[in-house]
Amino acid sequence: MEEENNPEKARENSDPEEKLAECERQKHEYLSGWQRARADFLNYKKEEMERIRGFIAYSTEELFLKLLPILDSFERAEKAVPANSTDECVKGVLNIKSLLRDFLRQEGIVEIQTSGCKFDPNFHEAVDEEERAGAESGTIVEEVQKGYTINGRVLRPAKIKVAK
Amino acid sequence: MDYIMAKILGIDLGTTFSAMAIVEGGEAKIVENKEGARTTPSVVAITKNGERLVGILARRQQITNPKNTIFSVKRLIGRRFSDQEVQRDKKLLPYELRESTDGGVEVKMGNEPSGGWSKPPEISAMILQKMKQDAEERLGEKIEKAIITCPAYFDDSQRKATKLAGEIAGFEVLRVINEPTAAALAYGLTKKKDHKIIVYDFGGGTFDISVLDVSADTVEVKATGGDTHLGGDDFDQKIMDWLIAEFKKDQGLNLASDQLALQRLKEAGERAKIELSTAVETEINLPFITSDESGPKHLYFKLTRAKLEELTEEYVSRSIELVKQTLGETKFGTNDIDEVVLVGGQTRMPLIQEELRKFFGKEPNRSLNPDEVVALGAAIEGGILQGEVRDVLLLDVTPLSLGIETLGEVNTTIIPKNTTVPTAKSQVFSTAADNQTSVEIHVLQGERLTAQGNKSLGRFILDGIPPSPRGVPQVEVTFDIDANGILNVSAKDKATGKTQTIRIEGSTGISKEEIARMKKEAEMHAAEDQRKREFIDARNTADALIYTCEKTMRDAGEKIAAEIKKEIEVKIDELKKTKEGDSAEDVKRKTAELSQAIQKAGSEMYKSAPASQGGNDEGGKNAAKGEYKEKQNSGE
Repeated sequence: MEEENNPEKARENSDPEEKLAECERQKHEYLSGWQRARADFLNYKKEEMERIRGFIAYSTEELFLKLLPILDSFERAEKAVPANSTDECVKGVLNIKSLLRDFLRQEGIVEIQTSGCKFDPNFHEAVDEEERAGAESGTIVEEVQKGYTINGRVLRPAKIKVAK
Repeated sequence: MDYIMAKILGIDLGTTFSAMAIVEGGEAKIVENKEGARTTPSVVAITKNGERLVGILARRQQITNPKNTIFSVKRLIGRRFSDQEVQRDKKLLPYELRESTDGGVEVKMGNEPSGGWSKPPEISAMILQKMKQDAEERLGEKIEKAIITCPAYFDDSQRKATKLAGEIAGFEVLRVINEPTAAALAYGLTKKKDHKIIVYDFGGGTFDISVLDVSADTVEVKATGGDTHLGGDDFDQKIMDWLIAEFKKDQGLNLASDQLALQRLKEAGERAKIELSTAVETEINLPFITSDESGPKHLYFKLTRAKLEELTEEYVSRSIELVKQTLGETKFGTNDIDEVVLVGGQTRMPLIQEELRKFFGKEPNRSLNPDEVVALGAAIEGGILQGEVRDVLLLDVTPLSLGIETLGEVNTTIIPKNTTVPTAKSQVFSTAADNQTSVEIHVLQGERLTAQGNKSLGRFILDGIPPSPRGVPQVEVTFDIDANGILNVSAKDKATGKTQTIRIEGSTGISKEEIARMKKEAEMHAAEDQRKREFIDARNTADALIYTCEKTMRDAGEKIAAEIKKEIEVKIDELKKTKEGDSAEDVKRKTAELSQAIQKAGSEMYKSAPASQGGNDEGGKNAAKGEYKEKQNSGE
């Protein structure tokens, strides 16, 4: 019986070194795994904050983008008002338009210039092309829908007609 | 860190739109382009000044530059000029096509030297190059490797051309994978053996069906079908046609010849379509759409979901017909299909989902954004190649919330469900009665707001709390779950440091059926529990106020005018009676009345002798069975 135990013991004796090495290896693996997880988490927190900031900016932009068609409609209405109109109701409605426009201005939303400008796809979207006497090819001849920037970035490009 | 693994970009190179994604921390996410959009129009142009534009900028100038604005080049890539498809598209595309010397296709975009005749892979490469640059800018590192997707029906030549496009753009293209396979990957459906999947892909301009057979590590495409010229744009057109017809009936004016009105109609129609995926009715309101001698005209119509379904029914039933046909090409029946996966924005339409549900008798997979699912899947393929997805350390989550019972048989959650473990959280509670020397901690698992109905995991008593007024002792209760789901709950009296703990094994090892049952029960009883909870909260607040009032009367009764004192006593009695009833509203009202009465007393006392009072009744509504919640903190 003792002889049978001996090899067993011998193996056990040689084990500590290996065991230690194995433990060392595992310790390294676990520690690095932990450090990584910790770092991942901290980085994630940072990214998440960044993402939330971006999301807030984005959702505000979305909201403004949805408000713009209302301003567009006011502007269409304004265009349809006869030049010599003295109707006080019309005046009042147009003042509501000014309220909305001023609010958007205060929020950093600025109209994109089109009159007399060259067509630039960074700011304008061409919806039609027309022969126009006296207009140089590629210049904007008519603004169909106003475009806006928010804090210097395009919120919505201006829709325009371009001279052929 | 030993080395930094280069990221692999997953790219869905679409006919009308393209999207890109990467895997980060084991999860795929979309990478936005420079303009901040999650998809990029697959459009390229050369302007009159010889400037090259890609994506949204190219699209914005398309009308002024139709001959030099190339879109839908995917319809041409890797094809021979003599192909039927190419000959058909040639008639529809506004730009010039010609046969190349090797029998392929060439498109003309601009003039030499900035432009000229190009092969389709070169055009696709311009789109891919923009995506590469935008991704590098977004992620702040070089991206060299990519996985690009293509339709399942693409032949060898089309796949080679797609790969070539990636290489011209500067990528090492690790793989060109099928779009339906990518979609299945995004849903994690490729791990199961002997799984049959239908991918129903209804994009803006194309409709594709694929039947996939997943078996040990391979995904085999069993059949493909569809219509390369059927898409969401056809639905928009139907809405426009309807609006034009209705307006003509209504006003006698034809909007079809008014370019600007058409633009507005198209936008409004698409918006209405999107809205009708969630709402059953929407209005299309376009004031000042046009005018005649009599003045301005407005367009205002209501469009119901039912009407939209009626208008587009032919397309939906045609798509289902094509699904039948494609399935018919395999030996599978509808019952053999394990999963239905939806791709493409048009699949958000409820009618489409309903028809598929009816046809296959199962709920389609639609939890991921159908516009992004292919790019996500491509990124996951990249992640698998890299080992990032396969080797992620899987961490368990708590399937149900864990908490303790507090005053009035309320279940106060400490660790909410779906919290990743290991984790620890603690909260400080207090006593509900004066001179209470022990608290019972009853550990609960479940979503019910009342203690009953939740699973009881165990209970213990912490005693030896020094006698003091209610709300003064601080008992910190800590829940700690290790990675194996073993829960240790401890309660510590902060004054004496005395601690009691309980160890509960298997708090996460609860069967799926039981979790489902418990969640369902909580849902079923949610309203009733909410009512009970509200009442208990109101009663606890009332108790706390009664306690404060009685204490005030005892301590400073002589400083209060007799009539006010009398009023307070009456109000206390009333409130005591009311809280034995069952109306939270009544208790709240009576509490408010008593609160007003005691405030009168308070201001009178201040008048006679200004003194500071630090009492705060707010915590009273959380007063617990033996505990009174004061503040909470959570450990990491």
